[in-house]
Amino acid sequence: MSVTQPQDEASIRELILKLTSRELQPSFSVSDNDQDLMATGVIDSMGWVGILSGIEEATGIRNIGASWPEGRAQSVRALVDAVREELDKIKPQCEQQGLRSDATRALSVSVAGWGYCLGSRRVDAATVEQECGLPAGTMFDRAGIRSVSRAGEGETELTLGAKAAELALEAAQVEPDEVDVLVATSATSLGFPSLAALLHTRLLLRESCVAIDVGGACVGAIHALATAKALLVNARRRSALVVASEVNSQRLCHPGVPGEFRGLFGDGACAFVLSSLDDSDGKAWRMGDFVSGCSGAFSSSLQVGLRPTGELEVDFKGEQLASAAITTINQVIGNLEDLTGIGRSEVEYLALHEPNPRLAEIVAQRAKIPLERLTRTAETCGNLGSVTCGMNLCKALTHLQERSEDSRHRIIYVAAVGPGILWAGTYLFWDSMVRRVAAPTS
Amino acid sequence: MAELILSDITVMGPGYCVIGLEQVSAEIYRSVRPMPLRAFAWREPFPYKRGDGVRFDPVPTVVSRPHVEDQQSRGLILTRQSTPEDELVACLRKAEVSKDLNDLFECSLQVSDRGGRALWVKPAEAKRSVCGCEYDNIRFRLFADPEGPSLRSEIMLSSGERISSIPVVDREWRRFVAQIAQRIRRADPRPYLERFLNRSIALKLLAAPGRFARIGLPRPKGDQQCWLMLDSLFPQPQDAWLDLL
Repeated sequence: MSVTQPQDEASIRELILKLTSRELQPSFSVSDNDQDLMATGVIDSMGWVGILSGIEEATGIRNIGASWPEGRAQSVRALVDAVREELDKIKPQCEQQGLRSDATRALSVSVAGWGYCLGSRRVDAATVEQECGLPAGTMFDRAGIRSVSRAGEGETELTLGAKAAELALEAAQVEPDEVDVLVATSATSLGFPSLAALLHTRLLLRESCVAIDVGGACVGAIHALATAKALLVNARRRSALVVASEVNSQRLCHPGVPGEFRGLFGDGACAFVLSSLDDSDGKAWRMGDFVSGCSGAFSSSLQVGLRPTGELEVDFKGEQLASAAITTINQVIGNLEDLTGIGRSEVEYLALHEPNPRLAEIVAQRAKIPLERLTRTAETCGNLGSVTCGMNLCKALTHLQERSEDSRHRIIYVAAVGPGILWAGTYLFWDSMVRRVAAPTS
Repeated sequence: MAELILSDITVMGPGYCVIGLEQVSAEIYRSVRPMPLRAFAWREPFPYKRGDGVRFDPVPTVVSRPHVEDQQSRGLILTRQSTPEDELVACLRKAEVSKDLNDLFECSLQVSDRGGRALWVKPAEAKRSVCGCEYDNIRFRLFADPEGPSLRSEIMLSSGERISSIPVVDREWRRFVAQIAQRIRRADPRPYLERFLNRSIALKLLAAPGRFARIGLPRPKGDQQCWLMLDSLFPQPQDAWLDLL
């Protein structure tokens, strides 16, 4: 949660006294500010940790328990001093954040780590065709899919999402207890607790770490990135974890779901760690602004719902949806060009949602983008819903990371469409592009 | 004479609280807490370790909830070679095991409404004072204490539930952490120690097939709250892990 830090010694003392009073052993009281609370038995070790944890939640100070000097008295005065010292340490950072203009703050969020994982079962197109009652060869000929990744035994949105999150946290060198915000998205995780709640517990994030689920189906990853960035920009939070995870194979495995729809999908997860700390020394992938909207004209082309009996109901008009998707993704790319002032020909990679690989190829053709600048996922994994464009973004970032540093003065566009027709886009740019990218919006 | 395999040795003030497994049948074990005649805890020298087989002469004991496993004795005698850890965990899985939080002590758990988010039970409601459980994730935290870093953990049980801020009273884990702290040559080793535990050591734990935890309850104090404690954490720490530092 966002915290309002106590500003002066009196308010710090008031906070400490409040926290101490609720941890007091029955019939005990604190006689003076120098009384050693533990040594005199006024509080026990559970109470001491309770006070320290309470301070951390109320002030945003991290790990005050671990930085408590050995031998220091465990008194109210010592606690006040310790809080003041820690606040003095983080004050310059907070002031710096407060002084930044909105535009500068918006550009100060970077992608510090990323990761993805796929369902462990690889199912070839011929098997999918047989399962879904499709004519032989149609999966590749019409959709461009050679195989799909499906969840193996025991793999769920939670396990795949947690794995991707761990990879992203490891890459970012961020510990789970440093995460301030978790934003999760999944179109296939329908139960409660929600995916964000499950991931929060699975990863043992701090209890005060925000946990939010966002929707949007195939645009879910971009919605989640936008939500996380907004929460970092508008408060004193430092790290956000964004997770998209889909297990379509289980959700769509019903006779009522058309085979030509069911066969397209695979299972997987991706995750990103966003950081609002400007300690990157000029070497970071910054998150740009977002474009997003909804054009309801073709909303009937894909409708998924639950019948009163609980069965999944799918109304899928493939050709209409394909046509709307191609047009809309192209428009989103145009919107990103307007936003950044950087033409698509200058963009290093485009990480797009791929309803199927053939559509991505048509988008590239119409948008006059060489195919090699699209990162691709669906050909071998199937359509992964919200994970598709997220995983394509992971691949783009990894490709660019593997290059020499000098060549990373680049920009990546991310664009997706989803049922509705929802559309969303964003861009990532290397630090040296800040001035150029910032110019059109400043 | 009763025979036990020692399963839990926990730090309790200056002494150790000890629990062992008594075999009831081929597939069932039960926890027994052998105690000295006039105390709850054994004092140094206490030469035993987890897995040791011991026998003792039980003395009629008045027990009170939740410590229904209490059994006074005149002393412990080593009977045989130690049971390997994997076999000990297999035995623990045949003793008191809980699928979820509420089943741990067969009573409802209370969340601290104070700062620590720790869990506690009402002594009169708990049906036992120790229970095993499977866990899927763990993280460690260290807090300052005049007697050295106080170790706590956050555990996610396989039921998907979380136990926050649970004190680790497992003797071997406390000793292991003290050893690491000595090896970290810094004025304040705790931040490095915590990072090491949560990176290198937690990975070892999570990769282990014999992952198991025993949660216990201490004796209630005046506030009539029994806080949950992490009595035993398997796998137990290994000396070789110190070389990961």
